[in-house]
Amino acid sequence: MLQVKNLHKSYTVGKQHYEVLKGVSLSVEKGEFVAVMGPSGSGKTTLLNCISCYIPFQSGEILLGGTALAALDENALARVRNTKLGFVFQDFMLIDGLTVRDNIMLPRIISGNTGGDMEQIADRLCELFGIDHIKHKYPAEISGGEKQRTAVARALINHPLVILADEPTGNLDSKSSRAVIQSFEQARRELGATIFMVTHDSFSASYCDRVILMKDGVVYRELRNVGDRSAFQDHLLAAIKEMSRE
Amino acid sequence: MRTFSEVYAALRRKNRGHYRMLTGCSFFSVLLITAYVTMMRSPTVLTVLPEGGDSRKQVMMVFVLACVGCAMFTLYASSIFFRQKSRETGVFLLLGASRKQIRALLFADLARISFGSCIAGAALGAPLAWLIWRVFRLVVVDSEEMVLTFDPTAGLFALCFSVFVIVMLFVMGARFLRRTNIIDVVNESHKTEPIREVKAWYGTVGIVLMIVGGLLGYLAPSFCVRVLQWYPPSIVSGICYIPLFIGLYLLLLHTVVNGWRRGKSRYKHIITTSIMKFQGRQTVRNMLVITVLIAGAYFASFYTPMLGVGAMMGYAERPIDYAYHYRADQNMVTESEVREMAKEEGVTITNWVEGEGAELGMDGTTQIETETPVGTTYTTEYVEMLSSEIVLSERTYNALTGQQIDVQPGHIRAVCDDNGDNQNMFDPDVTRLTNLVTGEVMHVIPDSDAPLCYTMLFGRYVLDDGDYETITRRLEGRKWFDHIVFFNVSDCDASYAFAKRLFHAIVDRSSPEVEVIDAYNIGAEQYYQSIGKEYAMAPENLAKYQLSPIDYDQRDSSDFRLYWKYMPQFRVLDQNDFVRTMAVYLMLFIFIAIICFAAVIIIAYTRCLTIALANKQLYEDLRHLGASPDYLFRTARGQVSRVFITPCIVGTTGIFALYAMIMYLNDNQFTFQELVGMGACLIIVLACTLVIYGVYRSARKQVCRLLGI
Repeated sequence: MLQVKNLHKSYTVGKQHYEVLKGVSLSVEKGEFVAVMGPSGSGKTTLLNCISCYIPFQSGEILLGGTALAALDENALARVRNTKLGFVFQDFMLIDGLTVRDNIMLPRIISGNTGGDMEQIADRLCELFGIDHIKHKYPAEISGGEKQRTAVARALINHPLVILADEPTGNLDSKSSRAVIQSFEQARRELGATIFMVTHDSFSASYCDRVILMKDGVVYRELRNVGDRSAFQDHLLAAIKEMSRE
Repeated sequence: MRTFSEVYAALRRKNRGHYRMLTGCSFFSVLLITAYVTMMRSPTVLTVLPEGGDSRKQVMMVFVLACVGCAMFTLYASSIFFRQKSRETGVFLLLGASRKQIRALLFADLARISFGSCIAGAALGAPLAWLIWRVFRLVVVDSEEMVLTFDPTAGLFALCFSVFVIVMLFVMGARFLRRTNIIDVVNESHKTEPIREVKAWYGTVGIVLMIVGGLLGYLAPSFCVRVLQWYPPSIVSGICYIPLFIGLYLLLLHTVVNGWRRGKSRYKHIITTSIMKFQGRQTVRNMLVITVLIAGAYFASFYTPMLGVGAMMGYAERPIDYAYHYRADQNMVTESEVREMAKEEGVTITNWVEGEGAELGMDGTTQIETETPVGTTYTTEYVEMLSSEIVLSERTYNALTGQQIDVQPGHIRAVCDDNGDNQNMFDPDVTRLTNLVTGEVMHVIPDSDAPLCYTMLFGRYVLDDGDYETITRRLEGRKWFDHIVFFNVSDCDASYAFAKRLFHAIVDRSSPEVEVIDAYNIGAEQYYQSIGKEYAMAPENLAKYQLSPIDYDQRDSSDFRLYWKYMPQFRVLDQNDFVRTMAVYLMLFIFIAIICFAAVIIIAYTRCLTIALANKQLYEDLRHLGASPDYLFRTARGQVSRVFITPCIVGTTGIFALYAMIMYLNDNQFTFQELVGMGACLIIVLACTLVIYGVYRSARKQVCRLLGI
C-alpha cells in the first residue's frame, strides 16, 4: 500500500546543512496500523511530511498504491491528498466556521463528489465514532477528543488508501487519547483502513500492529505486536530505553 | 452544503469580521484619498493657491504622506486578512483542494471586497469633501470664493489609488496562494513575526539621523540655489530628507524592540515589551505611518494659527489706521471727499498726512537661467535698468512717518520693515537711478548698513531732497508719481462701514490702467521689452503664466485683496475680513488636518484591536500564572500606549522642531510674531493631543474588554 525507499531529506539553514532523513526505507501493508516512534529530531515528522507531499525530498522514492508521488504535478498531488490520503493532526486542523458534519464532508465537497450518499456516509461515520450527538456543533463547542474523532471521520470519508496521523493524541487527555486510538482501531476493523501514525506516546503505539523506531534519520528497529497490548507496551518501552542508551 | 463555494460562503459569513475589517480599511483609504484629492484638485482651491507656491507644495507634500500612509495601512489590513485566512486555506490544501479551486473563490472574494470598497470610497469621497466644506461654510466663514467646485481630473487620482488598492489586494492574494509549502501556510497563523537583532545604538543613531535629515532636507535646496547656482528638481530635497525617515524607523524599532528602560525597571514592562517585540515589523510600520501622518496633520494644522496670529499682530502693530496709495494720474477720492464720507459714517479723522514719491528705474542683478536635464542653473548679470521702484524725498518720508532722518546727498536708503529686515523681497543695494521719461541717470551710494525701518512704506527708497528734486525735475506726467495717504480715526474698531465704503470708492475711482498685480513693475516691463522677452506680470500675459488677473469686479476675492498693487491697508477692514479673505487657505489646511487625524485615529485604533486579538491566548496564560487583573490591565495599557504615545511624541516634537527650525532659519531669529504663532500652535497641539488621548482611552477600554480584563 505504502512504500518508502531509501528516502533522503536535508535542510540548509544559513550556512548549516542538516541531514534529517538518511536513507529511510519502510512499507505499510493494506489494513495495517503502523506507528513511528523516536526521540525529538529523529526525523519522524519530516518522514510523515514527505509522505504527505507537503515537503519535497532530495532522493529516494515514495510509492502510494503503486504510484510514485515525486513524479506527480501539483494538481495530481492535490488529487492524491484528497482521495488517497486521509490526515489527522495533533491540533485537529478543523475549520472553525464549519459544523462537525460539514468538516467531515469537506474532502468530498472539495473533490466535487457530493453524490446522494455523502451525507449518509458522514452520518454513519459520526455514529461509528460516537460523535453523532454533536454533529451540528462547531469545533469551538466540543472537546479535544471529539475534535480528533471528527478529524478521523473526515480522514475516512473518501475511503483513502492510507490515513496519516501526526501525534493524534498529543493534545489529549488519557481518556480522549484512548477514544481516538480506539476509533483508529474501529476504522481499521470495520472499514479496512490503513493507518500510519507518528507518535511519542507508547500507550497509543501499543495498539498498533507494528512500531518503527527511528533514530538520527534512520530506521533503528521494528517491533511487531504479537498479542497482548500491555505486554507490547512494555516491550516498546524497553526498546526505547535501550535505544536512548546507545 | 454541497459545493466548495457554499463552504466558502459559509466561512465568509462566519468570519465576516475579517471581511469587514479589510473592506472597511480599503474603503476608508480610498475615501480619504478621494476626499483629499477632490479638495486638492478643486478649482476653488487651485485658483487661490498660486502655481508653484509654497502652499501648493505643502498641500502636495501632505498628500503624498497621506497616500503613503493609506497605502501602508491597506497593505497591513490585507496582510492581517490573509494571515487569518491562512489556516483554512492550509486545511483546504492539505485535504486536496487545488490552488486553482481556492484561487477562483479567493479572487471572487477579493473582487467583491476591493471593487465594492473602492467604488464606495471613490463615490463617497467627493460628497465627504463637500460635506466638510459645507460645515466650514456654515459654521466658520462663507464667501463667494468658498463655493466648492469640482474638477473631473480629481476622479483620475482617486481611480489611480483605487486601482492600486485593487491590484495590491490581488497581488497579495496571488502571493499568498503561490506559497508552495503547505506546512508554512498551515503554521502561518501561529508564526511570530521574525525581527532582526536590534542593537542598542539604534535609538540614538535614529535621533541623530532625524536631526541630520531635517536640517539637510531644509538647507540643501537653498545651498544648491545660493552656492551652486542650481535650482535642483524637487526630488533632490526629497532625497535629502531620506535620513530623517531612516532615523525615524530606527528610533521606532528601538522603542518597540528594546525599549528605553534599563536596569530593573525593564522587568516591570517585560510582558509589554516582549509582546511588542513579536508583533515586530508590522507594529513598527504602523507606528511609522502614524508618526508621519501626525506630523502631516500638525504641519497642516499650524498653517492657520501661524498665518492668523502673524497677520493679526501685524495689523495691530500698524502705526496708521488707514493707509492707501495710488498712481497720481488717477481721479482719486480727495481729502475733502474722504472727510465727508467719514462724517456721514460717524467717523472722526484725527490726523491726515499725505505725500508723493516718484517711480524711478533701478539697477540690479538678474539671473540668466539655463535649463539642464538635472534642473535649472543660472548665472547672474548686472543690468543698469532692471526694474523701477517708488523713491521718496527725505522731507516726504519724514512727513509721512514722523521720523527725522537725514539722507546724505548722493546716497540712497531703502525702507525695510520695522525690524530693519528687507525679507529678501528687494535689493537695498541700488547704485543707479534712471528717470524713466528722459533716461537721465543718477549714481547713488546705498546706505545698506543703515536701512530705514517703517513697515507701512516697505520696499520704497529715500533720497536727499536735493537729489530727489534733480532726478524728478524732468519726470513729466503724473503717472510716474505715487500718491500716499495716511490717516488715523478716533475709534478705528467702529469704523468698518467707513473703511468698506472708502475701499469701494478707491477701487471705483481706479482706472483699468492700474488694474495690475503687485508684482507688476513698469521698469521691469521696459527691461523685458529691451531684451525682446515677454513680461509675465503684464496684465495681458498673466493667464498665459497661470496667474490670476486682477479684476475690479472681484474686489472681495483673496486674489484681489492679496495681490492688487494698490490695495489699501485699512486696519479694521483687514482685521474683519481676514478670515473671509483667507478662507480657502485656512479651511483647506484645516480640512487636510482633519483627514490626516482621522487616518491616524483609525489606524491606531485598528492596530490596538489586532494586538488584543493576537494576544488573547497569552493573557489566558498569564491568568493561569496568577497575574492579577491590575497586572493584566497594566500590560494591556502598555501595549496600547506604545501604539499611540510613541508616534504622537515623535511626530509632534519632530514637526514642531522642524517648524521652529524653518522659522528660525528664515532670518536667523525668532520674531515676536513667530513666537506668539508657535504658542498658538502649541495650544492646537494640546487640543489635538487631548482628542487623541480620548481615542487612546477608548481603544484601551475596548482592548481590555476583548481580553476580558
